[in-house]
Amino acid sequence: MARPGFVLEVDERTPPLLVHEGEGFRVQKFPLGSRVIYPPDSLPGIKDVTGAIRQALLNPSNSEPLTELMKPGMRLTIAFDDISIPLPPMQTPDIRGRIIEQVLEVAARRGVDDVKLVVANSLHRRMTASEIKRAVGERVFRSFWPNDLANHDAEDPAALAYVGQTDRGEDVEVNRRAAESDLLVYVNVNLVAMDGGHKSVPVGLGSYKSLRHHHTVHTMLNSRSYMDPTHSALHDSCARMGRLLASNGLRIFTIETTLNNETFPKPFGFMNKREWEWSLADQGTYLAAKRANDKSPPRIRREVFQRIASPYGVTGIHAGETEAVHAQTMVNVHRQQLVEVDGQSDVMVVGLPYICPYNVNSIMNPILVQCLGLGYFFNLYRNKPVVRPGGAMILFHPVPWEFHQVHHPSYVDFFEEVLSETNDPAQIEAKFEQQYATDPWYIHLYRNSYAYHGVHPFYMWYWGAHAMDYLGDVIFVGADRKAVRRMGFRTASNFADALEMAEETVGRSPRITYLHAPPLALAEVR
Amino acid sequence: MAGSLLDEVREVARGWRWTRRPLVPRSAERWQEDHEPHEFPTSWARTAAAKAVREGILRFGFRPLVWNETEPAVEGVDNLESVRPPVIFVANHASHVDTPLFLCSLPKTWRERTAVAAAADYFFDVWWRAATTALVFNTFPIERSGGKRATLTARRLLEEGWNLLVFPEGTRSKDGWVGRWRHGAARLATEHGVPLIPVAIRGTYAAMPRGRSWPRKGRMPVSVRFGRALWPGDGEDFGSVSRRVQQELARLWDEDATNWYASLRRDAEGRTPSLAGPQAAGWRRMWASSRPLPRRGRGKVWR
Repeated sequence: MARPGFVLEVDERTPPLLVHEGEGFRVQKFPLGSRVIYPPDSLPGIKDVTGAIRQALLNPSNSEPLTELMKPGMRLTIAFDDISIPLPPMQTPDIRGRIIEQVLEVAARRGVDDVKLVVANSLHRRMTASEIKRAVGERVFRSFWPNDLANHDAEDPAALAYVGQTDRGEDVEVNRRAAESDLLVYVNVNLVAMDGGHKSVPVGLGSYKSLRHHHTVHTMLNSRSYMDPTHSALHDSCARMGRLLASNGLRIFTIETTLNNETFPKPFGFMNKREWEWSLADQGTYLAAKRANDKSPPRIRREVFQRIASPYGVTGIHAGETEAVHAQTMVNVHRQQLVEVDGQSDVMVVGLPYICPYNVNSIMNPILVQCLGLGYFFNLYRNKPVVRPGGAMILFHPVPWEFHQVHHPSYVDFFEEVLSETNDPAQIEAKFEQQYATDPWYIHLYRNSYAYHGVHPFYMWYWGAHAMDYLGDVIFVGADRKAVRRMGFRTASNFADALEMAEETVGRSPRITYLHAPPLALAEVR
Repeated sequence: MAGSLLDEVREVARGWRWTRRPLVPRSAERWQEDHEPHEFPTSWARTAAAKAVREGILRFGFRPLVWNETEPAVEGVDNLESVRPPVIFVANHASHVDTPLFLCSLPKTWRERTAVAAAADYFFDVWWRAATTALVFNTFPIERSGGKRATLTARRLLEEGWNLLVFPEGTRSKDGWVGRWRHGAARLATEHGVPLIPVAIRGTYAAMPRGRSWPRKGRMPVSVRFGRALWPGDGEDFGSVSRRVQQELARLWDEDATNWYASLRRDAEGRTPSLAGPQAAGWRRMWASSRPLPRRGRGKVWR
């Protein structure tokens, strides 16, 4: 029986706690009385994954079994989540590949010839052939690549279909092949509560024309939080779009999966454990790994981290109609990540790891660090943020002034041109978004190279809008001062200094809460 | 910025209390897993090399030390002549001096084939204590809380022909008298068909009670008295075996305090003093148990 998550109160018995800081980690002493949010223990994974997939396809929720939905002569499209989830990437065989194989076996048995596979990469960079092969498996890749297995292209007018407008006037434009299929099977990996449901198709297969309605500063400020779809303007908008697609006759068969918290493989297994339960071997491994990591050249360090593949177990596989499936998925996500937290604190502390959804096999540039910290980590709550209004957030990350020139070209310009003028998300949105979103060079790089869309850094900045609006102070520990200042935040050389700096905002005896992640926890703040 | 390796090692050593018992933060105690604890490996302590080192430490370190700091009298070793290993020695326990005193009282051939059951939560909580006691006393961990795995190693050792020393009280006596008696040793003997040898250890509470790390001054008399081997009867349950051992141990105490024949007479009449001590106020019980044993030998010639 996996133990539930809980909130630790630091006392004199508490050892220093593991804190991630980009491509590095440390153990850090916390002041007595600080609270630490630990996620539930990793749930046991399903032993017979193949059997569970078969069961899900045979007994879907609110839908006929997949076999009955397939018939000869039909147009079948299988879309699947891109490289942005799970994080870190899971050890092979990837669950997407395992599911797609079984879907294709049904299709083959039912005599379906017209099958296309689409990576639902939205405005993310295209996945490379090897990345796609890793996700779908060799057998699928060999059978379909490159003609019938491709990345979604949100800037190819011929490959997009305008479906219509929602009752709130939101344009819905999605992948033409998907929209015109007799059946769209969507294969998802639901790492956090934000993923899945109606967010899969309208966003994953959508275009800028659609995304501009919900990837906005307004929706971000009205999503409390976007990790709680029931209180998220972002998800409301996605749901309206998803329902419009359904009402227009698009048959979507959703298959969602959830993973456990086995985030780090050996030798980094100690990162999955609660510190006071570290064995002598764990302590030795920590020392050796930290020493080796600190002494390695940055290039090697990045290489080692980016090669981490998580030994995730699958905790649930559900198939059928999108909303019915997603309800079951959310139960599984909460079972693995939800932790009850009693009251808010004055200071929230997070250690940002080396990876976020947008730097797999890439570099986490300062904007992505901001997005991970003030976006994802800050929003890992339900009901109320972990920190009180006007409180301070302390983030551990070196924030190097470094960009991947192929993956993030528009980020470079955003950082240099936009942030040097203003940090205000609303101003940025009003003044610069359109220009970047329609820039032909960025569109060319998005379509033909492996670049994120020109508008993507804006979305990353909006992702942190709620936190920027809510917090009184944001302090990065051990970060590049220039990069942090450019983003409008402050830097401290160590944790003690950061706490002292935070005193200006929260007083001398602040209540401190450290969100101990990854593995991920979702705080239910009462 | 990374500190020196030494700083990092120090930080971890301090944080995880390398030299002391690891602690669980109070607010985390209720969430601790009730898992089967990892057992510290001790098989290396029974290799030829470890045996040789142990023999050296016991013979040239502990024996002179214990015999110098206390005045031991060892009786009943001849009872061992009638049995062959493996056996289970069952002794009362009042002091840290009991184990070295017992081991140094054994003939070498028995000593080098005897392993000592030690509380896993006390002697095997930190690596250095576990390694030291395993090497010096040939200890192996035993879970005081019981459970399936509590006696796994003990069973394996018996199967390999090792004698065991078990203190059925599971801990040192708080007042010098025998406390709660557990039946694990009798159960092992019953299941494996090996004899139990009761061993009465007297005077060690007076010499070095709980809380002391060195014997009191003045070479306090202590005694180790081996009893006869008790075999579990056919179909006899371990509870009955355990009671017989307790009874024999009580008689051995009495024998040590008086003489063999008198103890037999009192045993026959059911008047053997209880191991649990007198039913009296706590201070009186402790007063009685902390009274040094009378010195043996000739006594002073000149009065």
